Amino acid sequence: MQLNPNSRIAIIGGGPSGSLSAYFLLELAKQMGLTLQVDLFEPRDFTATGPPGCNMCGGVISESLMQKMATEGIRLPDSVLLDAIDSYVLHTDTDFAAIRPLHEEMRIASIFRGGGPLGADSQRPLPWTSFDLHLLDLAKSLGTRHISRRVRHLSWDKDAKPQVYLQPTKGDPIQEETPFGTYDLLIGCVGLNGSGIKLFEKLDFGYHPPASDRAWIAELYMGAEEVHRRLGNAMHIFLLNIPRLQFAALTPKGHYATFIILGHEVDESLAKQVFQAPQVKHLFPEGWEAPVRPCHCQPRINIGPPRHPFTDRVVLVGDCASSRLYKDGIGAAYRMAKACAVTVLTHGIGANDFQRGYWPACRSLDHDNRLGHFLFSMDGVMRKFPPFRQAILTVIRAEQKQPKGPHRLSSALWDTFTGSASYTNIFARAAHPVIVLRMLAAIIRALINSLKGSTHVV
Amino acid sequence: MLFKMHDEKPSLGLEFAHGEAIIREGEPGDCLYVILEGRAEVVVDDGSETPYVMAILERDSYFGEMSMFTDHPRVATVRALGPVRVMSVDKRGFLRWMGEDPSFSMRIMIKMAERIRSLIAEVVRLRTTLRTLKESET
Repeated sequence: MQLNPNSRIAIIGGGPSGSLSAYFLLELAKQMGLTLQVDLFEPRDFTATGPPGCNMCGGVISESLMQKMATEGIRLPDSVLLDAIDSYVLHTDTDFAAIRPLHEEMRIASIFRGGGPLGADSQRPLPWTSFDLHLLDLAKSLGTRHISRRVRHLSWDKDAKPQVYLQPTKGDPIQEETPFGTYDLLIGCVGLNGSGIKLFEKLDFGYHPPASDRAWIAELYMGAEEVHRRLGNAMHIFLLNIPRLQFAALTPKGHYATFIILGHEVDESLAKQVFQAPQVKHLFPEGWEAPVRPCHCQPRINIGPPRHPFTDRVVLVGDCASSRLYKDGIGAAYRMAKACAVTVLTHGIGANDFQRGYWPACRSLDHDNRLGHFLFSMDGVMRKFPPFRQAILTVIRAEQKQPKGPHRLSSALWDTFTGSASYTNIFARAAHPVIVLRMLAAIIRALINSLKGSTHVV
Repeated sequence: MLFKMHDEKPSLGLEFAHGEAIIREGEPGDCLYVILEGRAEVVVDDGSETPYVMAILERDSYFGEMSMFTDHPRVATVRALGPVRVMSVDKRGFLRWMGEDPSFSMRIMIKMAERIRSLIAEVVRLRTTLRTLKESET
């Protein structure tokens, strides 16, 4: 089952996985001399502020994704990049340590997925551009047709080709029972947070969405000067002993600081507990209180593999299929959109083709996430054994004093929190005998210090 | 205006002033560079008083890509023409991503093929010039 010249492709969802799927399909098809008709269905207006224009995400572009995009000629204009990040500061219940990479180059960027936070609307024209809008424009520049309408229903025609039905609007000449189009290939990039996932479940080909959990993300206005005075160019990671909390992160984003809380079913009460933690509070101006209702969301995030994310002529890409655990979801969307496009153009569009070409990429990500779960579960052990956390900070500080490195533990943690390497790669480096020996020595020292009654490790 | 962008908005990548060498001929290389902003010139020391300018690179161009595939030292110096901002791409990451996705290096391969093509054209032009000179001498 192959695409032919002028084959029609429908992509449902215009987030990074949707726009990048369209972009890579058209770019690779051009190199192969094949003309394709790509329709991308996305009703969201990415210039709108607050939830209507936003795809709910922390908005950080990892170091590896920045490098991949630069190499593949995908340029991000300055207006999309709100801040550049050069270091991470790891905060625990007792202490903190900064991690800087050996290279003195800023390669991590923070962005807004949509038009900006709620409340920014009154300040138009806004000096930034939505990341998702930029990617959508990129896909459109290669010939993608953007259908700014909501999809109501998907079905199969008599030749087992997928059909797309639109939600009727007032005065719409399109009849409710008439399909908008019949396609040779249908790509679902519907994420986990909308009703789009149900459309694909109803197609009844055995697709089962991945396991998910709930995160909490808020955009906090502080003003650019205050943000940089308080946070610098660093992302602050909090590993605190609060039940249900995996970790929290505070990222500079121009005039805003983005607060991300990851854990088990994060809700308002957990968010409040994290805000009240002294390690978090000291990064905000004295007396500063979190707004009662900041621009915030509680998106579902992918924490497990999907089942049967493809069949003949249908494939799912991005968060609704396989993504990376906790970090670098945009990078995973990039990788999977590319894997999908390469499969479609070099293998074909049948279930067997996706099994041979696309599925290995999904499985590789899913296997890597298992190791990610293990690495993050180690944090649970660390909480129960504070000298372990103190030892980590001690080893990091010692490494950071060595200007030429090697910064073995620092670089493993840098890649963990920046999402710049696979969990498998990070695990292999973190298990290096030198790190293990240094950690053991630091744990012993921390234990001795705690027996002496001192909690601060120098 | 509340959201006037702050003057000190940090930039991604590495910045170089006019005339500064980004990479130097003969030095070992373990990364390639992509020009994010500005222009750069590729110069080769051919023994003459002024180094030979091989090419002018514009925004989005690459250089240093040969070090991704070989362990040879840099074959040319690349200098900033005015202020330049570049992003480096590590060899280790590049090779890993190429293993995950062979099409990743497609754009670089195309660019390298174009450069080989122009170098062949240059060799042919030089040989023709040399032959003409020899013929005029005889």
